[in-house]
Amino acid sequence: MIPHQVTQRRWFLQQCQLGLGHIALTSLLAKSAAAVSKSDSNSEAVDHAVNPMAPKPPHFPAKIKNVIVLFMGGGPSQFELFDHKPALQKLDGTLPPAELLDGYRSAFINPNSKLLGPKFKFARHGQSGAELSESLPHLAKVADDLCIIKSMTTDAFNHAPAQLMMSTGSQQFGRPSMGSWLTYGLGSETEDLPAYVVFNSGKKGPSAGAGNWSSGFLPTLHSGVEFRSSGDPVLYLSTPPGISDLEQRQTLDAVNTLNRRRLDVVGDPEIATRVNAYEMAFRMQSSAPEAMNLADEPEHMLKLYGAEPGKMSFANNCLLARRLVQRGVRFIQLFHESWDQHGGLESGIRQNCLDTDQACAALVQDLKQRGMLDETLVIWGGEFGRTPMVQGGNDGRDHHPNSFSMWMAGGGLKSGLTYGSTDELGFNVGENPVHVHDLHATILHLLGFDHKRLTYRFQGRDYRLTDVHGEVVQDILHA
Amino acid sequence: MAKDGQDAIDFNRDIRGVLSDKCFLCHGPDESTREADLRLDVREDAIDFGAIQPGDANLSEIIARIQSDDPDLVMPPPETGKSVTPNEQRRLIQWINQGASYDEHWAFVPPVHPTIPDTENASDGNAIDQFVQTRLVSQRRQRNGPADVITLVRRLHLDLTGLPPTIECLDRFDAAVSAANQAEQIESLIDELLESPQFGERWARWWLDAARYADSAGYEKDMPRQTFFYRDWVIDSMNRDYPYDQFIIDQIAGDLRPGAGQAEHVATGFLRNSMTNEEGGADPEQFRIEGMFDRMDAIGKAILGVTTQCAQCHTHKYDPLSHREYYQMFAALNDFDEGCITVYTPEQADQRQRILNRAAALETELKMQTKDWIADVESWIDTVSATRPHWRTLQITEAPYEGQKYRFLDDGSILSESYAPTKSDAKFSLITDVGTITAVRLDALKHPQLPRGGPGRSIDGTGALSEFKMTVTPIDSDGTYGKPIDIKFVRAISEINPEQRDLKPQYRAKDALADDRVVGPASYAIDGDLKTAWTTDIGPGRSNTNRHIIFVPETPVQVDGRAKLTFNLIQKHGGWNSDDNQNFLIGRYRFGTTDAKSIPETTIDSQVESLLEIRCADWTDRQWNDAFTAYRMTREQWSETNADIESLWKTHPETATQLVAVAREKPRPTYVFARGDFLSPTEEVQTDAPEFLHPMMEDRLSANQPMPDRLRFARWLVDRDSPTTARVIVNRIWQAYFGRGLVKTPEDFGFQSAPPSHPDLLDYLAVELMDSGWSLKHIHRLIVSSNAYRRDSSGLREDFLDDPENQWLARGPRLPMEAEMVRDAALMAGGLLNLKIGGPSVYPPAPEFLFLPPTSYGPKIWRTDQSGDEYRRSVYVHHYRSIPYPPLQIFDAPKGDAACVRRNRSNTPLQALVMLNETQFVESARGLASRVLREFPGEFPCDDPAMDRQRVRYAFRICTSRYPDEDEVAVLIELLQSRLEAWLPEASPDARKQKEQRLTSMLGVSPRVLKQIAGIDARELAAWMTICRTILNLDETVTK
Repeated sequence: MIPHQVTQRRWFLQQCQLGLGHIALTSLLAKSAAAVSKSDSNSEAVDHAVNPMAPKPPHFPAKIKNVIVLFMGGGPSQFELFDHKPALQKLDGTLPPAELLDGYRSAFINPNSKLLGPKFKFARHGQSGAELSESLPHLAKVADDLCIIKSMTTDAFNHAPAQLMMSTGSQQFGRPSMGSWLTYGLGSETEDLPAYVVFNSGKKGPSAGAGNWSSGFLPTLHSGVEFRSSGDPVLYLSTPPGISDLEQRQTLDAVNTLNRRRLDVVGDPEIATRVNAYEMAFRMQSSAPEAMNLADEPEHMLKLYGAEPGKMSFANNCLLARRLVQRGVRFIQLFHESWDQHGGLESGIRQNCLDTDQACAALVQDLKQRGMLDETLVIWGGEFGRTPMVQGGNDGRDHHPNSFSMWMAGGGLKSGLTYGSTDELGFNVGENPVHVHDLHATILHLLGFDHKRLTYRFQGRDYRLTDVHGEVVQDILHA
Repeated sequence: MAKDGQDAIDFNRDIRGVLSDKCFLCHGPDESTREADLRLDVREDAIDFGAIQPGDANLSEIIARIQSDDPDLVMPPPETGKSVTPNEQRRLIQWINQGASYDEHWAFVPPVHPTIPDTENASDGNAIDQFVQTRLVSQRRQRNGPADVITLVRRLHLDLTGLPPTIECLDRFDAAVSAANQAEQIESLIDELLESPQFGERWARWWLDAARYADSAGYEKDMPRQTFFYRDWVIDSMNRDYPYDQFIIDQIAGDLRPGAGQAEHVATGFLRNSMTNEEGGADPEQFRIEGMFDRMDAIGKAILGVTTQCAQCHTHKYDPLSHREYYQMFAALNDFDEGCITVYTPEQADQRQRILNRAAALETELKMQTKDWIADVESWIDTVSATRPHWRTLQITEAPYEGQKYRFLDDGSILSESYAPTKSDAKFSLITDVGTITAVRLDALKHPQLPRGGPGRSIDGTGALSEFKMTVTPIDSDGTYGKPIDIKFVRAISEINPEQRDLKPQYRAKDALADDRVVGPASYAIDGDLKTAWTTDIGPGRSNTNRHIIFVPETPVQVDGRAKLTFNLIQKHGGWNSDDNQNFLIGRYRFGTTDAKSIPETTIDSQVESLLEIRCADWTDRQWNDAFTAYRMTREQWSETNADIESLWKTHPETATQLVAVAREKPRPTYVFARGDFLSPTEEVQTDAPEFLHPMMEDRLSANQPMPDRLRFARWLVDRDSPTTARVIVNRIWQAYFGRGLVKTPEDFGFQSAPPSHPDLLDYLAVELMDSGWSLKHIHRLIVSSNAYRRDSSGLREDFLDDPENQWLARGPRLPMEAEMVRDAALMAGGLLNLKIGGPSVYPPAPEFLFLPPTSYGPKIWRTDQSGDEYRRSVYVHHYRSIPYPPLQIFDAPKGDAACVRRNRSNTPLQALVMLNETQFVESARGLASRVLREFPGEFPCDDPAMDRQRVRYAFRICTSRYPDEDEVAVLIELLQSRLEAWLPEASPDARKQKEQRLTSMLGVSPRVLKQIAGIDARELAAWMTICRTILNLDETVTK
């Protein structure tokens, strides 16, 4: 009953040589036409014009095709997870050196607060000898697949601006998120699902809300689409009460028949775009629930992740992320907002690791087993780190932008690498600082983009994800 | 002269864009990034340098460099990723050979009324058509004929009111037979639509995009805020065609206009639509500056058509706006506190006035009862003065470091800012020579920054003090601290002692019924019980004023020498959700002590207390009245009247608030921020205009009163000499009708913008706007009266290929409806739309999870309306910036994070899902189906095919405004029959029951009830619902 995709496209091309549903299309068209090789440039160019989400090649051959961001909202403490600081232990309870605090602004605490030693023990793991805290027993098992960066640094120390910085490269609302840039640059591999999907779990929603997955000034279809692991996977996906799938299909057929007739009369290609949108909506009504149905997964797989079908959990979201990548979704962001340990540091980190550690490790392991890790990049991290100084009694840390840790795994990266360092107290970056802009430049590089050339003209200026900054971190890339 | 076959080069059209895009980054206005000391944006400099040799491209270095093969010499340098195309090179050469004349950028030269070209074949339209036709003729394009009258009627309705025409209106035009009569009827329809209240709603939304309107604060907590008075002011302004220049002045500086009333204050809500960050730990000044940047951005985009953002951090790379000039404009806006005032509807204002009048009348009666009330008050004041303790203000030096921020003000008071927790326990200390303390005083003070002016931070501007504690730590002469002594207070005295009462809903615990906390009199602050609190809240109308409370220790505190005094304010009477407006904190406080021998049993009103500093002889009438009010309260024999007046106040209405600008006595100094960093101020600047725009004149309010800078700036924005202001707004109006502005980038008329498609037309409209007294309706009327607007919108495939954006206007406009129209039109088709105007925002149904974590940061309020407000127009739907109402957001309604002067226009599967499946769209389909059956009643099953065809035609016409053709009817009739068959009763009882259940859930009522109450057969309604749902989903239904 559902017309085959190929038929769809053929019909589309016949009906409408140019589907200018979007203001930006002309420029897209020009760009993609310039980018494709001569032999098939005509059909490709027309294809992009009809469907702005048609797959497009990047600037140069990509190392990876997909990105999964495990966004640990709130700002995880590097001192309890990745950045082992024995000196901090020794100096626990003493004041930090005054010169360190010169010009330092903090969110909650008096900067001149006592230092707080790490709450967990650290050990080395795998052949690479990566140092991880005991709160990450599962991640330890895939240590050799990780590229840990201990020298991250950012500009903002409040949650919303810092999350925007991480997601969009700017502290202000209104800029396109990384995922939007990606689908703008690459199009979509799937015609049944959105190219950019977002999940939320944790105690709260992310501080920067939908700003984290906004398309900003890029066309709206590049926005991230929120999926939920329980209930309707996408807003308004379910057919209304009492209406059968057959009736939905009949309705859709009638709508499209009438729309096509109208296209014949008025010629506006916008109508063709709408016909296609309705077809995809209908396909999504079956493909999204299918993709989201964890009951399909074998028991051992559920166990690996610690996933439970029907529940809202980070573990479920990790497994769903893998399923979506398999179905051609390019960019998936998982927000887990619960890492803001101003107090209850020890128990908070412990609980968060119980909620996330197994699934993070499982995702890396699962992707690797399937040979998908080569073309997928997994990124773990929050919006900033936490202070070496204490907040409150002796069990909390404040926001800290100067230094924090992240890890990545996937194609194109050196695995089993720990990159960069912080000073003795973990206050500032020591060697090899990696600013958020550098991280973005590197991710785009892995996807085959020169971050300086992936641009969009807005308000008389060519904007890009990395603004006017960013250096690719060559040291962590495979030659 | 141009050579054969070549048009003369036009600098603005052909050259400026190339130079700007390819060269100005390094050879433009910004000195700090200028290379080789060459600037190409100034002709003389370019010639002096040798870059350009007018008349000889071969001798011009710029051409040599552009054409160079040497990667070290070629311009622009390869690493920029930019290059000059052969076509651009050809034009540059031609331009230099023709003399390299620089024209001033068209947008920075004030518009003048152009000569209206006299074009044949255009005499039937208006002046707009003369301009349009000239371009069409010169490009040898064929224009479409006029659209049929019904299409035009629909277009006019949707454009002018945002709603499709009613069947009655369509009937009227179907009946209009003669062409002459038709033209007349269209004219009167335009009048009617321009005067309809829905016009204001439609065009207010258009402005609200630019004004970045939202009903919440943004950022992490994104708390609800009240600013709908501003929204309603915009609606009203559009409806009464408030002149655009006044409209802008009010929004930038209405509060400073002589004689400003509530409306002018409300208008400054424009400045306050910026987001505010209330997350814990946010630096208030940092985010105030972010708000200032946002205001500059909004003014740049919406009013000036100049992008300003770049100049925040450095001199603009492309446009002649310097870093310094940016802050000269910034300075004009840097004079106000971010206020939140109480606002009244006309009814509420009347009601308040009645209370004031009645109270005044009762007081007059009392005054009449005494021989000489003035003498009585004077002698009472003398007594009070004599017994009043002398208070010493304590300069607190230590406040907590926490999420809430404390600002020390010059008068020794402390202002609570940023995050407002619902539970607070804060200690304030100082070290001082103590001596004797016989009482401690806490003032709760007003501040413009507090809700309703304070003195609290709650949405009522009130606060509650659960417990007040104090410790004294003596310090020895050698600096060692003694043992802290907790002071025991035995008496608390305040001017207000509200009766004990339960907490208002917003302060309740999650389990509201189990919450036994109360507020009441002063003694509650020292009773050792955290469940009781003293509050400044004595009900609406009188709670927003300075208050104080006095604490008397059991025995006087006596310390010879220095000690550390620590005051502990425990405020635990807020609600459970610190991500919502549930705090109940005092917002500004000051501590004081006295060593007075005796402390009176009572204390007087803080307002009257301030009168004690003034001689009675110098009091104003108002002050006399205030004093009398305080005096009468002390008189036992007047207790009955006092009680009467008290109960009068109980009838005071609960009112809304509005975010506004509140001018400070002295503007803040403004500095150029290096790299836009507020922590790096450099030179100080004064308000002034950028050089490339018209000058800003000195001005005075009166002979001895200079005009405040913000007002001067506002007037400058809409000065007739402004080259961009009028052009920008007519361009945006044009864009709303045709989908594309005459200038494609409404936010940017600078060097980087593409030149206008019809420069003379743009200028004509701009001058028309100003000449008409800035009447926006005049522009609307001109546009909808043009033939360009009234053309048929269809075309051949080649036409759309050739001019996809219809910039040459050979076709009439055919555009997807905007988000609000899509929803409003569906509700209207379903007979559900509620046309009530104005008031608080409304909450249509939405999935509950949206407003709960982890989708929302914290739990948000969404009280779904159920009594008709859910069907109000979309302009009234409550708009959370972090969780925009999805049915609107998915159709590209802006989020309100920043000014939006050009919406995205997308056409996505998610939109299809909304129209197919969202609750209100489904309800609309059901509503339309029952309308159809009501309009054409008949027996079921219907054995009259003509009847069903009529019904189809009716529903189709409601949605698309036209009758369907035979084929279209046939498609729908076929669907109808198939659905009627599908609903035929099943033979088996189980299957039959199942079907009935499906019918029930589809229709919301059981088939039996439906039959009984409405006389409608469920199967028939269900089948028609499918038909209506189909029609509601048609492209044409959501196209204007």
